[in-house]
Amino acid sequence: MDLKIFGYALCVIGATISIALTARAAASSMARQPEVQGRLFTVFILAAAFIESLCLIGFVVAIM
Amino acid sequence: MDALSTAFETVSESMGELIDGFYTRAVVGNVDTVGITPYLVWYLIAGGLLVALVMAFKKRCSSEDHVPHGPFVNGVESLVDFIRNDVCRGTLGDTWKSHFPFLATLFLMVLLCNLVGMLPTWKPGSGSTGMTAGIAAMSFFYFVMVGVKVRGGWGYIKSLAPKGVMFPINIVVWAIEVFSTFLRLVTLSVRLFCNMFAGHMVMGVFALMCTIFVEPLFASITAQTLGVASMSILWMVLLVLIYAVELMVAFIQAYVFALLSAVYVQLAEADH
Repeated sequence: MDLKIFGYALCVIGATISIALTARAAASSMARQPEVQGRLFTVFILAAAFIESLCLIGFVVAIM
Repeated sequence: MDALSTAFETVSESMGELIDGFYTRAVVGNVDTVGITPYLVWYLIAGGLLVALVMAFKKRCSSEDHVPHGPFVNGVESLVDFIRNDVCRGTLGDTWKSHFPFLATLFLMVLLCNLVGMLPTWKPGSGSTGMTAGIAAMSFFYFVMVGVKVRGGWGYIKSLAPKGVMFPINIVVWAIEVFSTFLRLVTLSVRLFCNMFAGHMVMGVFALMCTIFVEPLFASITAQTLGVASMSILWMVLLVLIYAVELMVAFIQAYVFALLSAVYVQLAEADH
């Protein structure tokens, strides 16, 4: 098996766990304080974008 | 089953073409010196669309009664309202008004570039590292200029190091901060490029998967080939789903790009 694909799989596992943790924290905070929903959504999207970009860099490295 | 195996071979060729399409090549001139790449053309098309959109909006708005009406005018207004409230006011605070034109242009341009790539056979203006690096460089120079304007050249360079750190460690932290400031240029451009590249790769692969299962059907129509062809319905559904996700990604990436630029501007002008 190509080692690059294996590396990308590791990358996806890491990103999945991190985004899941972020989403969990965001959801529970929104449930506790619905009034900060707008601000929290921004923070969540930002964090998800940072994590996702690492995963996508992995994808591009794997395919190039 | 022979037809299916040959179809798989053609897919790997088409895969190569798909990846090849993202390499930089010149339409006019030479890549090494001066030339126009396909992505610059798509970028200019997106820019033209944006100008046309703004012109149409202005024409509708300055009609006799000055009251906004119709889905087009209200749609554009709500988009601008979203940029003003979520991107500018939320992060920049009191000084949002002076940065609003730049950030709104950045957001709309990246959004248009991404959306242009969503049309079949069209390509995103933000689909090559050259284009995204150019847009990221604009953002980079803008926030450095804001920092220099607020504190002066030497003041901005000094302000990169946080206050209240002891002397020797100070310099190390300053060096790291300078490095991370330049890294923003890379992350901004690579994030946008990777999202567009990966999204279009996935869509292209799914579209190819749709075609390979139908191909045996053209050779001979039997119960077996019909059964194989029914697989492509599943891939079609997945393709539509991925397309919806990509539409969302196009918007979110434009939002993230503008929001991060706003955060960097805020960091440059805020007191540490």
